[in-house]
Formats: sequence, C-alpha cells, structure tokens
Amino acid sequence: MSIPTLQGLQTALSGLLANQEAIDTTGQNITNANTEGYSRQTAILQANDPLRIAALSPVTGEGAQLGTGVSVQTITRIHDTYLDAEYRNQNTALGAANTDVEELQQAQGAFDEPSSSGLSAQLSAFWSSWSELADSPTSEAAKVSVVSVATQLADTLHQLGSQLQAIEGQAVAQYASLTGPAGTVASDAEQIAQLNQQIKLSLLAHQQPNNLEDRRDLLIDKLSSLAAVSVTTEADGTDTISFGNAAKPLVENATVNWPQALTSAAGGQLGALLSLSSPAGALAQYQDGLNEFAATLAASVNALHTATPFFKGATAATLEVAVTPAEVQTSSEKAAGGNNVALAIAALRGGAADQRYAALVEQVGSGVQNAQASQANSQAVVNTLSGERQSVSGVSLDEEMTNLITFQRGYEASARALNAMNEMLETLINHTGV
Amino acid sequence: MSERITTNMIIGSTLADINAAQTTMTRSQEELASGKSILEPSDNPYGASQAITLQSSIDGLTAYEHGAQDGVSWLNTSSSALSSIASQAQRVRELVLQGASGINSPNDMEDIAEEVEQLTEGVKQDADTQYAGQYVFSGTLTGTVPYKPGAEDAYQGNAGTISRALGPGSSVNVAVNLASVLGSGEAAADGKLLDTLRTIAKNLREGTPAAVETLRTTDLHALDTNLNALTGLQAEAGAVTDQLQLALSRISSLQDAATTQLANVQDANIAQVSIEFSNQHAAFEAALRAGASIVQESLLEFLH
Repeated sequence: MSIPTLQGLQTALSGLLANQEAIDTTGQNITNANTEGYSRQTAILQANDPLRIAALSPVTGEGAQLGTGVSVQTITRIHDTYLDAEYRNQNTALGAANTDVEELQQAQGAFDEPSSSGLSAQLSAFWSSWSELADSPTSEAAKVSVVSVATQLADTLHQLGSQLQAIEGQAVAQYASLTGPAGTVASDAEQIAQLNQQIKLSLLAHQQPNNLEDRRDLLIDKLSSLAAVSVTTEADGTDTISFGNAAKPLVENATVNWPQALTSAAGGQLGALLSLSSPAGALAQYQDGLNEFAATLAASVNALHTATPFFKGATAATLEVAVTPAEVQTSSEKAAGGNNVALAIAALRGGAADQRYAALVEQVGSGVQNAQASQANSQAVVNTLSGERQSVSGVSLDEEMTNLITFQRGYEASARALNAMNEMLETLINHTGV
Repeated sequence: MSERITTNMIIGSTLADINAAQTTMTRSQEELASGKSILEPSDNPYGASQAITLQSSIDGLTAYEHGAQDGVSWLNTSSSALSSIASQAQRVRELVLQGASGINSPNDMEDIAEEVEQLTEGVKQDADTQYAGQYVFSGTLTGTVPYKPGAEDAYQGNAGTISRALGPGSSVNVAVNLASVLGSGEAAADGKLLDTLRTIAKNLREGTPAAVETLRTTDLHALDTNLNALTGLQAEAGAVTDQLQLALSRISSLQDAATTQLANVQDANIAQVSIEFSNQHAAFEAALRAGASIVQESLLEFLH
C-alpha cells in the first residue's frame, strides 16, 4: 500500500484555505470592534479525517493513519447566555430607576425649593403682610399688600398644582407613545419576530446565523429597559420572549402579541411610568399633599377672619382670595385701629399649613434621593455586567492582531509546504530516471 | 482563565471615570457658585424642610422686630404728649396757688382763668396726638379724634387695647388709657383732669371768698390727685417701652441664632468645598491623562 502522490498538495491546500478563513474571521472581528451588540467570532479548526494506510510499517507491518490537513468546522460567536439574562434583569431595574429620577426631578424642579421664589417664600411673605397690617391696621396700603401677596400665593399654588398634573400627564403620554402601534415595543417585537424566522431558516440550512443572533440579542437588551423580559430559546433556534407581566409572550416564533395590558409590576420604564401616574403614585401623592396644604391654609385663616371668608376653595387648583382690600378684617370689633385678628393670623406662621408644606418638600426630596440612590446602584451593577459581557464577547484588538499574525504565519507555512511538495514532484517527474 | 480586557472595555471605563470625575467637580462648582450645600430638596430632604422652616421663622422674627420698633415709636409719641400734658397741668397748679392767694383783683382773676382755659385746650390738643395718622389716645378707634376742640369735653374713643406681638403667644398693649386721667369733663362730673380744670376756671372767674377757699382746698387736692394719676400713666408707658426694648434685643439675638442655624443647615463650607474642588480637578486631569495614554496603547503601535 502506498500514499497517493498528490495527497501532500491537498493537505497543504487545506491549510491555506483554513488559515484564510480564520484571517477573514479576524478581519470581521476587527471591523466590527465598535459595532454595538457584536459578539466576537472564532473559526473552529479541526483536523480532517485521516487516510488509513494499511500495513505500511516496515518494522511491525501495521497500518497507520496519515493526516489530510485541516478544515474550518464552524464559525461560532463567543457568548454567555447567563450573563445576558443577568444583564437584562439589572437593565430593567435601571430603566425603572432612570424614569423615576427623571419624572421625580421634574416634580422637584416645579417646587423650586429652597429659594426666594418658591411657595415657602410666598407663604412667609403672606404671614409677614399680616404682621405689617397688625402694625398699621388703618393703612389701606397694608390691606392691599395682604390681598396682593395672598393672590400671588394662590397663583403660585395653582401653577405648582398644574405643573404636577402636567408631569403626571406626560408620564401617561409617554407610556402611550412607547406602547402604541408605532412605539418602540411594537417595532422591536416585530424585528425580533422577523429575526426569529430568518434564524430558523439559516439553522435549517446548517448555517450558523451569528450576526442575526447578535442583532436579536441587542433588540432584547433594548426591550429589557422598558420592562422585565425573559427569554426561552426553542429547539428551532427561535426565542420566545415574555414581556413585563403581559398575559401572553410578546414574541413567539414569528408571531407578535401586542398590544397587551401591563401593570405597574411590569418593571422597567413602562412599569415605572404606570406606577408614577397611578392614583396612589408619587405624583398623585404630591398633589394630595398640596391640596391638604391648601385646605389647611384656607381653614386656619378663615377660622380667624370671621367677618367674611378670606380664602375660598380648598384645593391647590381652586384656592382663591375671596376678599377685596376693603374687606380685609383686622379686628374682631368694628374699631378701625384694632388689630387682634391681624395679629392672630400673623401668629399662624409656623403652624399646621407651614408644617404640612415643609413635610411635603421633605417627601419630594426623599423621593428623588431614593430614586437617585437606586439609579446609582443599578447603574453600577449594569456597568459591571456590561464589562463582564464585554470581557467574554467583546473584540480585543491586541488579541485579534496576535491572531492575525498567527494565521498569517500559518498561511505562509502552508504555502511553504506546498512549495516543498512541488519541488519534490519536480524531482520525481523531471529528474528521475532521465 | 484571567479576565479578557477588550479595547471597548478600556474606552468604556475610561469614559465612565472621566464622567464621574466631571460630575463631582460640577457639583462642587455649583456649591461654590451658589454658596449653598442644599440646591434641591433631594440633596438633603430633612435639611431642606428645616431650611424652609428656619427661613420662615427668621422672617417672623423680622416681623416681630418691626412690630416692636413700631410700638416703641408709638409709645414715644404717647409719652411726649403725656409729658406735655403733665407740664401744662403743673402750670395750672401754679396758677391755682396764685389765684388762691386772695390778693388778686377781679381782672387778674379773669386773666388767670383765661390762661387756665387755654391750658385746658392745650391738654386736649396733646390728647389728640397722632402717630402715622392714627390717634394714639382713642383706644382702638384710632380714626376718631378723642377730644373735640372747644367746650365739649366728652371722650370720643373707647377703652380698647392695641397689641404689638413680641413673639409667638406674647404681646403687649401699647394704647395708653389717657381717658382714665382726662375723663369726660364737667358734664360727666367725674373728678378727672378735664373736669378739675373746668371747675378751677369757673371758681377763678367767680372769685368769691368761698370760691377761693374751694380753689385752695378741694380743687388743689383734686388736681394733685389727677397729676398723680398722670404720673402713674407715664410710668406705665415707660414700663411698656422698656418691655419692647427688651424684646427687641431678645429678637435680635434670636435672629442671630436662627441665621447661624440656617447657615449651618444650607450653606456650603466654602473652604472645604474649595479644597475638594481642587482635589476633584486634579483627579479629573489625571483621568484625562491616563485615558489619553491608555487608549492609545495597542499592539498595532509595535507591529511592522
């Protein structure tokens, strides 16, 4: 039994081809080093099935196996699905925290505290105007000042109330836009369904759809900031995606089930938006607090201003000054110079209304502070997980350069082997027996 | 297997470090620019509510201060009117002694009676003293003249009190009850100063030995009683003024305390923040430098 004469050429050729394919993969990695969601790929090389040579050994007379070169088994992407799931969990928490911070900070901004223009300053000015009136109860100017300061206070209260309402309205609108027919959820889900279909077909054709899978993973990452996602990969390579606490999977094979109802327990940005704008949500609580403040203020002033109610309305939106300067009451008797009512109202400073408002400011501040703390925590965890994912799947240019040299040298060496083989055949054909 | 460090990880962490350094630096810069450590309630929720409460109590103290100062001015005006009344009443007393000496001609007695009547008018004018457009001796009817000029001596005001707040739950009455000394004249026959003065003038003009005797005894005695009451009223006004002055100095020290407390709660410690800012700036520069050199390093630099 002998070795086929041209086998060596074939072996060297397989080396050329395999190294070339590996170089191509390296090139793909290098060019996609900055592509979002790209997972590095590696060409898996495998030695070809050997040639069985029977009874060749002159010593033992036994057969041997002669290698026939190398081929690329598959090109795989380097990926850790456990890290993906962890990352998405934390990304959901981060999406919720980001939304909380954004919305609550807007509410905090509306309060504009502590400052010389916020409601607390107006309230303080209101009490001071009563003190001034108590000093000169017959002064028309002091009465006009009481009414105008009170009107300003009521205006500021209206503005603050309507700003809080507007922020709540924005949260509702944002939820509607994200979940609407042209929203992010619908379009991402649609793309995932299409990718599912393409991936299934590729796998049926025994092709590894690395890039399609990367794109699908990236879309799922993005969805995970909107609400909690969990992914089940089916036997045919398609992903079934459950979203938030929706009853049916968002994507199943090539089918999209959307729109579906979510609740505030959905997590992520959508859950946070639902929770913020719910009747028991933070924004509603702030408005309730403001209404309580308005009611307390009106009740405590009106209880002393007995001639005619000073304020009408008992909510942030409806509180109005009900008197003209001439109707401002300074005294419980009819005497012009009496000031017992003005003094009593001025002494309300620091009372129930002030305390209610200060508590509300503290509540708003704590809300933002807590949201910021959980945002910072989630961000830190997401950064760590993102780093770990990068560590596994990211492209290292140094590594790729090293690989490039390795495969380039491999290619050159294979060419060299081919050359040697060629020279051998030259000797055999042209210089043997001549 | 050791952890792979990829190019994008280096870039990502460098960027995150630079951003973090910049965020803390911006925060310090804001604190330095505003001088406040609480820019938003979320910086310190309890501190923010405390700052609001403290600011309101400082405003309240300012209002008490204005009230007390106003009360002092009101009482100063009242006191100088009382002094003027007292000196005129004293002059009447001299005239009574002169008229009771029994050596005056009827003409002299008429002159003395006329001077007493002028002094009576002067006393009423002093009683009509105004402070900032308000009659200080009308009780709470500060828009009403307490004593009309002329023969009518009835008191037009009331006995109401006018308070000035000195603090939460504490106030003083600044309305001096002059009517309790002046009374409502002869018609009321209340034995108060105006009644006494009118009686004196009448007895002077009468000039009979019996009238002169009345002047020397009953009228002089009544006048002394009225003068004593007036002195008592002056002392009372003085005591209230002292109380207000005392309150003013107390309010001022409370203001200092509250202002200091507010500063402790919401003001930035400029020295500390400045030093922190320098540190943060140095860290920021270091992060930039490190980033600039580490991001450049790559195997590519060394391959040919």
